[in-house]
Amino acid sequence: MKDVMGIIYTGENDARLRELTIIRAIAALPVAGRFRVIDFLVSSMVNGGMKNIGVIMQKNYHSLMDHLGSGKEWDLHGKNNGLHILPPFLTRENVGQYPGVLDALRSNTDYLNHSKQELVVLSNSNIIYNANFKEMIAYYESTGADVTLMYTKDPSMKRDEFGTYIAVDESGTVTDIEVEPTHPTYDNTFMQVLLMKREFLKALVDRAVAHGLHDLSKDLLLRLVQEKQAKVNAYEYTGVCWNIDSVQSYFKFNMDILQPEIRKRLFVDDLPVFTKVRDEMPAFYSNDSKTVNSLVADGCVIEGTVENSILFRGVKIAPNARINNCIIMQDGQVQEGAFIENCILDKQTVIKRNTRLIGPEAYPIVIAKNVVI
Amino acid sequence: MIRKKTCIAMLLAGGQGSRLGILTKKVAKPAVPYGGKYRIIDFPLSNCTNSGIDTVGVLTQYQPLELNAYIGSGAPWDLDISNGGVFVLPPYQTGKSGEWYRGTANAIYQNMAFIEQYHPDYVLILSGDHIYKMDYNAMLDYHIRHGADATIAVREVPWEEAPRFGIMNTDSEGTIIEFEEKPKNPKSNKASMGVYIFTWEKLRHYLTQDEEDKKSSNDFGKNIIPNMLNDKQVLVAYDFNGYWKDVGTIESLWEANMDLIDNPMPMDMHDKKWRIYSKNPGMPPHYIAEGAVVTDTLITEGCEVYGKVNHSILFAGVVVEEGADVEYSVIMPGSVIKRGAIVRRSIVAENATVGAGSVIGENEGNIAVIGQGVVLPAGVSVSAGQQVDETTTF
Repeated sequence: MKDVMGIIYTGENDARLRELTIIRAIAALPVAGRFRVIDFLVSSMVNGGMKNIGVIMQKNYHSLMDHLGSGKEWDLHGKNNGLHILPPFLTRENVGQYPGVLDALRSNTDYLNHSKQELVVLSNSNIIYNANFKEMIAYYESTGADVTLMYTKDPSMKRDEFGTYIAVDESGTVTDIEVEPTHPTYDNTFMQVLLMKREFLKALVDRAVAHGLHDLSKDLLLRLVQEKQAKVNAYEYTGVCWNIDSVQSYFKFNMDILQPEIRKRLFVDDLPVFTKVRDEMPAFYSNDSKTVNSLVADGCVIEGTVENSILFRGVKIAPNARINNCIIMQDGQVQEGAFIENCILDKQTVIKRNTRLIGPEAYPIVIAKNVVI
Repeated sequence: MIRKKTCIAMLLAGGQGSRLGILTKKVAKPAVPYGGKYRIIDFPLSNCTNSGIDTVGVLTQYQPLELNAYIGSGAPWDLDISNGGVFVLPPYQTGKSGEWYRGTANAIYQNMAFIEQYHPDYVLILSGDHIYKMDYNAMLDYHIRHGADATIAVREVPWEEAPRFGIMNTDSEGTIIEFEEKPKNPKSNKASMGVYIFTWEKLRHYLTQDEEDKKSSNDFGKNIIPNMLNDKQVLVAYDFNGYWKDVGTIESLWEANMDLIDNPMPMDMHDKKWRIYSKNPGMPPHYIAEGAVVTDTLITEGCEVYGKVNHSILFAGVVVEEGADVEYSVIMPGSVIKRGAIVRRSIVAENATVGAGSVIGENEGNIAVIGQGVVLPAGVSVSAGQQVDETTTF
């Protein structure tokens, strides 16, 4: 088996996630009742045999660090390898934030140098997927490419003005790349996941930074492809994926996985998704409770009515309270007689007795962490 | 070099638990699932961690594979530390001899070398048979404060039940003056919980002496405690008033599970300062489908409920299909209740399948049990109190 390392970049633009990302990176966003966005990436990488994973941190990385800890939950607490947190730091040439992923990699050249793996997978953290990396690595090896990009034909990933799209010929070679077009020409959405040799990445980063390039897709990949400087091909990911870059897309992902068929495609038996454990007791449903079409995590106490919703760990729904189409994060409370619909409640929010809170379906209300209404 | 520990724990996990019938055919009793996401051993291990006892020897003998795999590195209980941690201690051979553990005291005797490594002042003896939350550190303080040689945790049981227990007769100070195993006419209702703290030097002496007595049954209750009392050692009773349940029989295991559904719960499982830890299977939250009816029930991660569940406990990854109806039952990890099956007052062990339209258990009478991995065909009936394993034919 090939020795492969993983690098996750967590500095994506999060302005359209409103209150949800004030206090955290997208990677640290709570999703699906008990996970964070990054759990899917880290678990995929670990399931793909990667034992050395670096996470490049940008702003607001406290909650992400707190979540990842020593990497124990993913068996990443080994001696030589394991989880490496790479926060931005000040150097003579680097001040504060990284302008782009290339600068972040440049600052962490030491980490790249000291790693022993031959191959490296580089991934952004705003797309939720559960890939079989062993398959992608085998594809890369068999094709002899310099760089393999992961892409999807999932139509929901194709959106005007956002994303990177690639043209792929019959041999799998990437022939064109378009970045954030007003109307995408190609159906293949680049998932911001790349595989190449570690030495190749080091050389690329060096050259890019020396030429003042900051953006991986727009500046670097485009050149490689257009000027045929390297053999870039593509591997199609056929599983389910979601781009988490707005409140709407965050809401949609959570609601999508209420569907059993979709959930089964994300939570695959031999590719389990691990997360930080909280040791809550199982959820309790009282005699007068009513629950339909909902995902409920441990530690919840449900005495009211829950419909089409996702409840994270330790949520309490009081008698005669009713929630519909809601996402309620860890330790949220909905008190007696309250009714909420189309709402996203961040951690530890309290909806007091008899409060009514109804958001439009297309634009869910977001209640920030610790707010009491 | 191993550093000295004030107190280490020895957990007796070698019993067969034969009264649990087919539930312990393939696993040791401490590894039997309980409460939706736990196994019995999670309680003493979590109590140790929460009490600040970080070195635990687990003495195994009967069907240890699943238990060993479950304990692993001890990480779920924070017992994967370099100075201490959890150690699985099966019987082993030495130069002259090698033999099974003959009794509770002999099991500890055979592991004296393990204990001596830590030069402990005190040794806590536990068993893997009970569900309770207890601060062993408070008990240790009590032991030290009373200058005791041994402290025995006791709880008051109803007088009519006292003849079933080992009863401690104490003076007004709490000093034990007499120990009676299952007395016909009990003088006290203070029953031993099988939780002991010994001053190690004393215990070492009595274990060695007991080993020399060829007629001894090498048991704490029958031999060590009476011998210490005869010698006028200081034995004190430590009162425990919290929830405590012996889960030694199918009925009591079922009852202890049902206790968790009582509102309010007799034991606070939501206490953030005293969590019960367990190994996590890494599954998504459970799903309650459109059309499902769930009342009075505990459900954990990975379950999918399409049918009706009332007053029951579903462990990780259980599936209750459409039209299935589960009531007053305990469904252990990975089991599937197929379409239209009816399950009443039953325990369905791990990874079993109840076929479509089958009827398991009855509204009254004893608990029906479906054994680990059993795949029941469609349309069969299992009556109250019946135990079904792979050899059962229909």
